[in-house]
Amino acid sequence: MAPSAKRNNTWALLGASPAGKGVVLFSLLLAVMIGFTNGAGSLFNVLVTGGMWALLAVGLALVFGVMNIPTFAHGESFMVGAYVGFYVFNPMQNYLLDHPNPTLMLLAPLLACLGATLAGAVLGVLTERLAVAPLRRRTKEGWIMNTFLLTAGISFIMINGATIVMGANFKGIPRYYDFHPVEILGIRMSVDRLVALGIAVLIIAALVWFMKWTRTGRAIRAVSQDEMGAQMVGINLNFIHTLTYALATAMAAAAGAALLFMFQAYPTVGHDPNYYAWFVIMLVGFGNIYGAVVGGFIVALLQAATQTYIGIQWADVVPTAVMILILILVPSGIFGSVVKGVHEQS
Amino acid sequence: MLKLENVESGYDFLQVLWDVSFHVDKGEFVALIGPNGAGKTTTLRTIAGMLKPRAGSVLFKDRNIAGVPAYKISRSGISYVSEELNLFTNMTVRENLLMGAYYVPDKRKQHETLDFTYRIFPRLKEREDQLAGTMSGGERKMLAIARGVMANPELLLVDEPSLGLAPNTTMGVFEALLELRKTGVTILLVEQNVHLTLDVTDRAYVIESGRIVMSGASKEMKQDPHVQSAYLGI
Repeated sequence: MAPSAKRNNTWALLGASPAGKGVVLFSLLLAVMIGFTNGAGSLFNVLVTGGMWALLAVGLALVFGVMNIPTFAHGESFMVGAYVGFYVFNPMQNYLLDHPNPTLMLLAPLLACLGATLAGAVLGVLTERLAVAPLRRRTKEGWIMNTFLLTAGISFIMINGATIVMGANFKGIPRYYDFHPVEILGIRMSVDRLVALGIAVLIIAALVWFMKWTRTGRAIRAVSQDEMGAQMVGINLNFIHTLTYALATAMAAAAGAALLFMFQAYPTVGHDPNYYAWFVIMLVGFGNIYGAVVGGFIVALLQAATQTYIGIQWADVVPTAVMILILILVPSGIFGSVVKGVHEQS
Repeated sequence: MLKLENVESGYDFLQVLWDVSFHVDKGEFVALIGPNGAGKTTTLRTIAGMLKPRAGSVLFKDRNIAGVPAYKISRSGISYVSEELNLFTNMTVRENLLMGAYYVPDKRKQHETLDFTYRIFPRLKEREDQLAGTMSGGERKMLAIARGVMANPELLLVDEPSLGLAPNTTMGVFEALLELRKTGVTILLVEQNVHLTLDVTDRAYVIESGRIVMSGASKEMKQDPHVQSAYLGI
C-alpha cells in the first residue's frame, strides 16, 4: 500500500520531495540572514513582492493544471491591470486634489484594483472564447506547443496594441495612499505596500476557499484531473475552461493595479512579472497551486538575497542560474508536478 | 427507453459503426458483445455524447440525443462508465462519489444516494478516505461504476467492467450490477467476457465490424452455435 495513500499533512499537500523540504528550510534560513543583515523592513518588502509573484504564479498554475496551456501572455494581463488601475485612479486623484474626501481617499485605490480585476476577467473571457476555444475545437494535437505559440502571439499583439493606443510613455502614480509609513512591531511599512500585500493575501485566500469549498471549485479540480471523467459527471467543460482562464487573468490584473505605485503602467511592464511567475512555476512544478503560493515567496527571497549579498546587477542572473539548475536536477519541480489523471488502458 | 436507429459513427479518420440498430427497454439488463474493434466502445461513446454520429438517431425516451454534448447527456439520466474509468485520481473515494452526484441539487439527496451506493459497494465505504489513484484495479472499477450510480441514472452504460480483473472480482462487479438492476436501473453492458455476461443479462446483441449481426435472449444466445464457436470457445 503506498505510504502517501492518505493526504493528511502540509508537506504532502505541497507534494514536497526531499529537495522541496530542503529548499523551504534553506529559504527560511536565508530569510533570517537577510533579516539580520538588512533589518526586518527588507523582509516585509520580500513579503510584498512574494505575495505578488504568488498571485501571478497561482494563475499560471491554474491555467496549466486545468487547461494544459503554458501561457506566455500572463504578463500582459498584469499590464492591462496596471493601465486600468491608472485610468481609474488618476481621475479620482485629480478630483480629490480639489475636493478632499476622506472616504474616497481610502476607497479610490481599492476601486482601482477592483476595476482592474474586472477588466482582467473580461480580458480572460474574451481571449479564451476567441482564441483558445476555437483551437481546442479544431485539434488537440501538439497542444502544448500550439497554445504556447498562441499565447506568445497574443502577448505580442497586446504589447504592440498598447503601444499604439496608449503610447510608450510610462503612466504612473507616486503613491496610492498619502499616509506616513505605519510602524508595526518596530518595522516601518509603507501603507501602499501593506495594502498590496493585503490584497494578495485576500485574493489567494479567496481562491483557495473557492477551490476547496465550492461546487464550481471542485468542478475545476475535477477537470484538472480528468476531463472525460468531468464530462461523465455532468460538468460543462467549456464553462470551466473559460472560468479558469478568466480567474487567472483577473488575478494577474489585480496584481498589476495593486503594484501601480511600484511598477507603473507601460506596454512592456508585464515582461518581468511574467518571467518571475514562470520561474516560480518551474521551481515548484507545473500545475501545483499550493506550491505556487509558497514558491512566490521563495523566489522573492532569492531576489532579495541576490541583491543583498551579490549585487543588484546580478538580480536576474542568479535566479536564472537557479532555474537552469532546477531544470537539470529536479525537472518536475521541488514540489512535484500535478499532472492529469492516468488512464487505465491507453 | 433507448433506441438506436441506423447509427453511423466513428472518429475523424475512421468510421467504426456502419449500421447499428438496437433497443433497450426500461428495466432491462442488455449486453452488447463482440470481438475487439467491432465498435462496442464506439457505440457507448456515441450514446453518451462523446462522439457525434454521422447518420442515424439515438433516441432516449423518444427524444433524439444524437449530437447532444456529453455533459448534457450525463445530466439527463444516462450515466456512462468508461473502459478507462476516468477517475479523479487525486481525490478520495468519497470525493469521487460526491463528484458523481455533481448535478444532484439537493445535499440531502446526495448523501442518501451515497449511503445507498455504500450498501451496494461495501468495500468502497471501507476505503472512503483513500485516494482513487492508489486503489487496486477491481476497487477502481467498483468506484467508477459507483460514481456513475451516484447520479441516480435511469440508464447505466458500462464498458467492459471485467477487463483485467480476476474471476472473483469480476463476480463481485456483476453481482453489484444485478443489485443495481433490482432497484430499477436499466443497464446496457459491453463485454468481452461472454460467458458470464450471457448468464446475468436478459438479452444480448452481437456486433461485428460495426453492424449488429445477431440478437436474442441471452439464454438462447448461449446455445447458438455461432456464438458458441466464436465467443465461447466451444
